[in-house]
Amino acid sequence: MKVLLFGLIAEKANASELLVTAASTHALKRSLEVRIPGLEQLSYALAVDRVIVHEDRPLTGNEEVALLPPFAGG
Amino acid sequence: MSDAKPHRKRDIFVEGAIPPSFIGESIAKHASQTAIGGHEIFLGQVRADRIDGRTVEAIEYTAYRDMANEQMTIIREEAFARWPEITCLHVHHSLGTIRAGELCFMVFASAPHRQEAREAVTFVTDEVKKRLPIFGKEILGDGDHHWKANP
Repeated sequence: MKVLLFGLIAEKANASELLVTAASTHALKRSLEVRIPGLEQLSYALAVDRVIVHEDRPLTGNEEVALLPPFAGG
Repeated sequence: MSDAKPHRKRDIFVEGAIPPSFIGESIAKHASQTAIGGHEIFLGQVRADRIDGRTVEAIEYTAYRDMANEQMTIIREEAFARWPEITCLHVHHSLGTIRAGELCFMVFASAPHRQEAREAVTFVTDEVKKRLPIFGKEILGDGDHHWKANP
């Protein structure tokens, strides 16, 4: 599935999106933490279909997934 | 998009700084709505913060635009539920490079009386900072940068 990256995370990955295969949100995080240097040390949120999820949730591959570094609006 | 929601989907984002003249035009647009007794406006301006002895010259804003607009719709509905007297609520946020001293954020509420307009603007301003996926890259004088994070 396509994972959207923003801000500091997009900078670290040197990409605004990545293609990842994962069956759950926790598996996705583990896979991305291997691929994106320094991600594990960062504070970030994971959004599924534009809503932040904290718990482990199954993914079908059709969701819109995004990694969000700390917000800075205003 | 035509759905049954009272507040249609809209895009709060504008490219570049918010010109001060836009604030004046926004006020003027409400002149025909004579039930309004007060406008309350919050304007965010890019601050030349000092970071490790270097000065922030600009902030480059990006956003997860679809999610931010969806969150804004929810915040707007919460505000109208809490302060039903509000006549209008307008929110705009900049994208792109905004230099120190320029405006990047506007929350504008109008109501028959000042109290509800004030409370709504404070609420919406706080919630936008907390809940909208907007990212800010602070451009420092020496060419380096720092990623801003709201507390």
